[in-house]
Amino acid sequence: MTSGRVVIGLGSPDRGDDAVGLEVARRVADLHLPGVTVVEHEDPTGLIDLWDTADLAVVVDAVRSGSAPGSLLVVEAGADAGPLADQAWARTGRGGTHAFGLAAAVELGRALHRLPRRLVLVGVEATQFEHGTELGASVAAAIDAVVATVVGLVAAAAPQVEAVSHVPG
Amino acid sequence: MSHKLTDGGQVLHVGTLARVEGEGAMHIEIKDGRVEQVQLRIFEPPRFYEAFLRGRAWTEPPDITARICGICPVAYQFSSCLAIEDACGVSVPDAIRTMRRLLYCGEWIESHALHIYLLHAPDFLGYPGAIEMAKDFGPVVERGLRLKKVGNELMTLVGGRSVHPINVRLGGFYRMPTVAELRGLRPALERGLEDALETVRLVSTFDFPDMEQPWTYLSLRPEQGYPIESGNVVTTDGTAFDVRDFTAHIKEFHVPHSNALHATLDGGGPYVVGPLARYTLNHDRLSPLAKEAAREGGLDVTCRNPFKSIIVRAVELVEIFVEAIRIIDAWQDGVAPSVPVPARAGEGFGATEAPRGVLFHRYRLDADGTILDAQIVPPTSQNQPSIEADLRTLVEQWIELSDHDLSHRCEHAIRNYDPCISCATHFLDLTVERS
Repeated sequence: MTSGRVVIGLGSPDRGDDAVGLEVARRVADLHLPGVTVVEHEDPTGLIDLWDTADLAVVVDAVRSGSAPGSLLVVEAGADAGPLADQAWARTGRGGTHAFGLAAAVELGRALHRLPRRLVLVGVEATQFEHGTELGASVAAAIDAVVATVVGLVAAAAPQVEAVSHVPG
Repeated sequence: MSHKLTDGGQVLHVGTLARVEGEGAMHIEIKDGRVEQVQLRIFEPPRFYEAFLRGRAWTEPPDITARICGICPVAYQFSSCLAIEDACGVSVPDAIRTMRRLLYCGEWIESHALHIYLLHAPDFLGYPGAIEMAKDFGPVVERGLRLKKVGNELMTLVGGRSVHPINVRLGGFYRMPTVAELRGLRPALERGLEDALETVRLVSTFDFPDMEQPWTYLSLRPEQGYPIESGNVVTTDGTAFDVRDFTAHIKEFHVPHSNALHATLDGGGPYVVGPLARYTLNHDRLSPLAKEAAREGGLDVTCRNPFKSIIVRAVELVEIFVEAIRIIDAWQDGVAPSVPVPARAGEGFGATEAPRGVLFHRYRLDADGTILDAQIVPPTSQNQPSIEADLRTLVEQWIELSDHDLSHRCEHAIRNYDPCISCATHFLDLTVERS
């Protein structure tokens, strides 16, 4: 579906910190970065179609690794990187199905040879996922840093200026 | 992991059961070669949805209860809509009922494709999971992803989102998709139908353990068509009753080892809801193409082998694609997206066929529409006793297997049901004790 550089915000709205990926995607889309496609997405099984033709894909998601709330976890996971460590990303709070999450999507993509050359997972340490709640204060306070990290990743990989698109939903 | 008990028995731990929705455990005790106890221990915390629905407005349950499950939100939306519309004395027009059926097709495609290809097929092909299976069966897994994508696209078009649709409201929808939009999906649905037929051909070649369930099967049966978004209740015992009599026949009860209520049918033993029950009670309602696919897949007009549920799900995929294409071809623009559902005091009942089986909702409202009482009976809760009974049968049949192989068979048997523990609590760590 996408080529060049793609930023994918993964998560569920109205589920507390689980919306952080979506919020970051919106903020990055507002920057209208040339040549960068921004996608908000909920279902991990659909990720492969979003990233497999990209040169660089950055996926932003809530993560629970035991770090301080709002802290960032950046993991290289593309075709040029090795397999994700066991349990990496296993305790993300996002919805979809517990039986198939982001880590499974990455490794399934690897098995099917459908990973972008470079895939970067940007995790934001999350704490609460209550129904009908907004981002917690710690995660909300980290948004600027997450956006800067994502912009830094796509800018460093910028080849040519092309079109700008934002695909919600 | 396994260890010996001090009395010479044995305990086997198999860690967290994978490829199911939610969290829980399995505990099996074997003594003198006999199964003493089988417990499906659902420890995912109770989620108290029924309690916090009290005091909310009658218009809210479709959005609130959709959040119970990321796999079958449409089931919750439509069971709640039917129940509240029943309480308010409203029956939606056929066109709205048809569009509900189309959205529900999207959910069934998503759910069945996920379960067949990514969760259940690895059991039959001898892989620990879909990732390992994909290394040898790449095109097969790609087909599963392609099928699920079509389901996502249908859900997004009709429901507004691929997960937890936002276009559903009491009395109908906020917006109807147009003929042009729907026809845009037709090529993907046609390809999906071919993929569904290929799915039946694939899964029917799997090896299936011999097993015949003696349990009563229960499903919905509508006036016409295969049961999806409506119908009265029928069972293989010959019982038939209206959905409003559901709680007169189905009694929920608590067992100490599960945070999900169990259920009995007319005080009897285990009963089964889901694909096998739907198929066995409604084979005559399948389209000619789905019937032919079932026959080519080796199915009779009934199916009581729970391991063959994967074939039945594949046949249901064929049926759903046929149905979705039929609905799209017949759809006409200009249908009012919803009808008013004014509040009134009363009690209402609704049931639909979630991918895993019958999902029942009941609501009691006061005159201004405030919810006084709510009850939700999800399919996995109803199937808990039959899952435990299947495991008891299978462990006794395979008691000579190694702990490793026995555990794998047990996990496979649980996945036959595609259990949704998130729904049931509204689980799995396997323990076998031998002594």
